[in-house]
Amino acid sequence: MKNYASKWIMQRLTAVILIPLTFWFVYQCVLLSSYDYTQIKAFFYSKINASLFFILIIAMLYHAKLGNETIVEDYVTSHNLKKTTKSIISALTYLSMILTTISLLYIISS
Amino acid sequence: MNFRKKNILRNYKVSVLLYKMSFDRPLSPHLSIHKKVLTAVFSIFHRFTGICLSLGAILLSVWIILIALGPDYYSMFQNLSTLIFFKIFLFLWTLTIFYHLYNGIRYLFWSYGKMMELSIVYKSGYVVIILSILSTIFVWISI
Repeated sequence: MKNYASKWIMQRLTAVILIPLTFWFVYQCVLLSSYDYTQIKAFFYSKINASLFFILIIAMLYHAKLGNETIVEDYVTSHNLKKTTKSIISALTYLSMILTTISLLYIISS
Repeated sequence: MNFRKKNILRNYKVSVLLYKMSFDRPLSPHLSIHKKVLTAVFSIFHRFTGICLSLGAILLSVWIILIALGPDYYSMFQNLSTLIFFKIFLFLWTLTIFYHLYNGIRYLFWSYGKMMELSIVYKSGYVVIILSILSTIFVWISI
């Protein structure tokens, strides 16, 4: 039993962050759907857009990690399977976080 | 002596059994046992949409990686996006996002102990369904 309270709070905190950002991103997606490659790239040149997208994706991945871990804890009874699934979740989350950050930085700098 | 040995052996077997049972506990929300009441269906659906959206979050990072890799790689995504199958997928994704979002707001209220009366829980549940369908339709009309 290690700091489940902080996980619970983080789950709610990321949720609160995600509410306005989701509306923002869905709205942007409606606009982006008609853009071509250069226009989409230009979208991320804006510092506000890039930072909001960065916060969105990091909060989203972390929220997803916490949520999936809770589901695994509730439904997976085998100790080993629980451990394996949790490590897969963590690996996928951190890999996505790192690759997204590198990609965003690359887009901004290019 | 023989009796004591037997007793120790039995105690040992019982503790092994208990140890094994501790790993093989019944599932906590008892999905297969309980009657499917609406509130439970909402909760299950919240988790199901959550899992789907986690995969969506990974797809979103693949999208941003494709943008970073350049127009040649991004055209792969653009070719895919013209398919009707992809459009249906996006439509369901939108619906999933809004369902999880509005239902999640309900969860936030519950975290503060608000709106927990059964009648309000049911009413807000219907509001969640109506709002998510309306928002999805609104988004797809705007495109």
